[in-house]
Amino acid sequence: MSSQNLVYVGIDLGTTNSTAAVFDGDKVTLVRNAQGSPITPSVVRIDARGNLSVGARARRFLESDPDNTRGEFKRLMGTAQALRFPASGVEKRPEELAAEVLRSLRKDIEDQLGFVPARAVISVPALFELPQSSATSEAARLAGFERVELLQEPIASALAAGWTIVDSSGSWLVYDLGGGTFDVSLLETRDGLLRVVGHDGDNFLGGRDFDWAIVDWALGEIERAEGVKLSRSDSAHAATIRRIKLAAEEAKIELSRVEQTSMAIAGLKVGDRSFDLDLALDRTTLERLCSPAIERSLAVCRRLLAAHGVPDGGLTRVVMVGGPSVMPVVRRYVSAALGVPPTEGLDPMTLVAQGAAIYAATAGLEARPAALEPLRGCKLWLQYPAMSSDLTPHVVGRLVDRGASGSAVATELRLTRADGLWDSPWISLDEEGAFVAAVSLLARRPNVFRVEGKNATGGAVVIDPPTLTIVQGLTISDPPLSRTIGVATAGDDVRVYFERGAPLPARRTFTLQTVETVAKGSKESLIKIPIVQGEYDAAHLCRLVGALEISGAELRQTMPSGTELELTIELDRGGRMSARALVPGSGQVFEHVAHLLVPEAAPEVLDAQLVAIRGRLGELRTDAFRRGLGGVIDKLGKVEAALVDLALDVGAAKGGDADAAQKARRSLIELDATLESVELDRRWPELEKEAREAVVYATIVIHEHGLAHEQSLFAETARAVEKARMARDPLELQRQLRLLNRLSYAAGSRDPEVWKRRFEHAAVDIGNTTDPAKAQALVKEGREALAKGDAEALRRVVQKLWQLSPGDPEQRRLGYDSGVR
Amino acid sequence: MSAAPADPQRRLADNPFYVLGLRPECGRLDVEREGQKLLGMLELGLKSAASYMTPLGPQRRSADKVRAAMAELRSPERRLLHEFWAVLPPKPEPPRPAPPPKPEHDLEPFAGAFAAHGWKRP
Repeated sequence: MSSQNLVYVGIDLGTTNSTAAVFDGDKVTLVRNAQGSPITPSVVRIDARGNLSVGARARRFLESDPDNTRGEFKRLMGTAQALRFPASGVEKRPEELAAEVLRSLRKDIEDQLGFVPARAVISVPALFELPQSSATSEAARLAGFERVELLQEPIASALAAGWTIVDSSGSWLVYDLGGGTFDVSLLETRDGLLRVVGHDGDNFLGGRDFDWAIVDWALGEIERAEGVKLSRSDSAHAATIRRIKLAAEEAKIELSRVEQTSMAIAGLKVGDRSFDLDLALDRTTLERLCSPAIERSLAVCRRLLAAHGVPDGGLTRVVMVGGPSVMPVVRRYVSAALGVPPTEGLDPMTLVAQGAAIYAATAGLEARPAALEPLRGCKLWLQYPAMSSDLTPHVVGRLVDRGASGSAVATELRLTRADGLWDSPWISLDEEGAFVAAVSLLARRPNVFRVEGKNATGGAVVIDPPTLTIVQGLTISDPPLSRTIGVATAGDDVRVYFERGAPLPARRTFTLQTVETVAKGSKESLIKIPIVQGEYDAAHLCRLVGALEISGAELRQTMPSGTELELTIELDRGGRMSARALVPGSGQVFEHVAHLLVPEAAPEVLDAQLVAIRGRLGELRTDAFRRGLGGVIDKLGKVEAALVDLALDVGAAKGGDADAAQKARRSLIELDATLESVELDRRWPELEKEAREAVVYATIVIHEHGLAHEQSLFAETARAVEKARMARDPLELQRQLRLLNRLSYAAGSRDPEVWKRRFEHAAVDIGNTTDPAKAQALVKEGREALAKGDAEALRRVVQKLWQLSPGDPEQRRLGYDSGVR
Repeated sequence: MSAAPADPQRRLADNPFYVLGLRPECGRLDVEREGQKLLGMLELGLKSAASYMTPLGPQRRSADKVRAAMAELRSPERRLLHEFWAVLPPKPEPPRPAPPPKPEHDLEPFAGAFAAHGWKRP
């Protein structure tokens, strides 16, 4: 690694605007585009001749030629939705359009630095799902980057703020209100290390919601003044509404500086009717229009603080990021609600890109392409933190060619800081040709160390690399996973692989069992292993983010029901996922993760789901009124209010707005989950009774048959059950009950009488198994084992019978047609 | 549902303090310093980092385990639980094979001193 002129590149690929920054270990510089601005609009235009333009040049046509000019495609990342440019007949996927923006920024960096950057860090919203992250990586690859790491936007903001602020210790809240997404993160800094305590956010809340609130108000005013009814769900009105939205956006920005402004557009057309728009808009009206969206964001902040036990007044600072966060009304609301004024002196528009560049240093991701330099001496393989909060970090090294001998091979090494004020003693290499040394750093600057070598006779040896650089400053611990990831099972459960907050990168393997036979050579026969992301125990409430499919056509031998599969899921630092299934019996490996896409959101499907959710809401409300459940009625009231927005989005989706369709799809999942929790609330007395019975049963069984560690775990779980019961937390109670039942099952399995009962129960239902003939034979075998009193054989028979059970088809459908348990 | 190990033996064997070779009294900076050093050593494939001692005997160390251990000890609440489980001292390292005996007349480390006074090795 060359130590001179280190350059690290960070890119904020935003919904509305994008920015690039470079960090040299000392200071961060923003990259200016051809127009001299550090901000490049995330807009792409393709004209009739197929010429492509990006940024401010493209943005100019957003109003006059919207069909051939596309913005806000980040919100469609990870979907299969191709965007069409009719003048040229070209179609591009969202990641291809993002790649054009990245390519443009890459060119700007080249113009500024004199070389094409090969590696960079790109920021993504904290709550991006796996398909969206994967599409961002794909965009970077298409733009020509050799390697990129993805970084969650709030971490980038905090890192940049922490680098700027000298005393950065304490708890921080990063309030990041972008054009289309809202992220909030709670961070903590101690001893120069930044730790992400927790995330929350709303993937579909942003400045754009302010714009739409202004548009809806303007449409009302137009109807009142002109008698013209414009509708967002009517595709014939789309062009006119687009013009009004641009005017709304400009007025909103203007009102950050002045008290009153106007929205004026000449020659608006609706059918044959033409009229001029001239509306006065003041800050008070803007505040009234935007306050519901701001309140939504504050509710998310409060939820995050409550989840991590941060008391009122417990925050040291609030960092505000994103264009809409400069609005005085937003800053005022945030300051009043959180009790801390937002930190001043930080640029909310470029903070994310600055932090991404600093993170590139932390990750050792130098932007310059690796040069193939000839070996200049004794080659050393070094490991050290490119950036460290520690003032005395370790440098570890090992000779690359340990077999070599002679005077060119070093036996001792010494590290000397470039200012000459510190050096290590001579360190002897051990029997592995390795060394570990602590080095001394100067605070908040790049520290260059010269590496010197001596051979066995004390002669000087040239070392390659001759130097290494460590930047001292605030660093971030391993990035945490923003949402839990697991495998959906045929019983609509989730087998959790990585919990939210798990440090990345991560890899885990679990053994799963197939629920049906897959015949070798059969194309119709297929086992699906759905991978889901979300915090719920029921698979259908989590989002499907990918699936591994094993088709009979690929199998070397038939896989009977109950076959064991070793499924490994791996996530890199940016949250990109890969999965691999090994069939130990045949040694065959399957690695193709299918349809890693955000699911389609067809308007008619959304419409049907909306009707269904309204029906379910009605039933729950009637029941809640009948039982007089005040808390439940409140919760349902919120769902009802959200349904109004949802209906608007479904309407816009019918009018061809793909973004609104995606927003509606996600809202439907979230509302479904809320209704599910209401159902659980309703079932509380039943659940409490179940918990009491489970604790009593477990006490007896574990006392009689449990091992010592099961007994101590039982004591721990019983306490957790009681805690959840006292807190009236149905989700937690359900989770603890599941654990308790597993413990009872494990302890109970040591009782031979239990297996007799389990056998009789399984033997009744052999007609419904996946292989009745095999089940019949097993029942016969079981009867023989019973007659002989062979408990072990009986246990084996019962387990095989269970493997032949197809499970409940409805649950399996809900579990994304999972073929494993 | 939890992905955390429920088995007490595994809890002990995978205790972050043992994985990082630290005692429960260590500071937060020690966690970072030791973790970063071990990750470097594992990346270089050094044998000295390949295993760690626990009350249950030696365990295999991996980069995933080190990263997970660092993450656990960064969180004050989770660290408290691990401190409780790490009260037992790890078993002492098995004795390494003794180095070959040095010749009786080995004059190290005073060889230079003897030479300075005109003494020579036989």
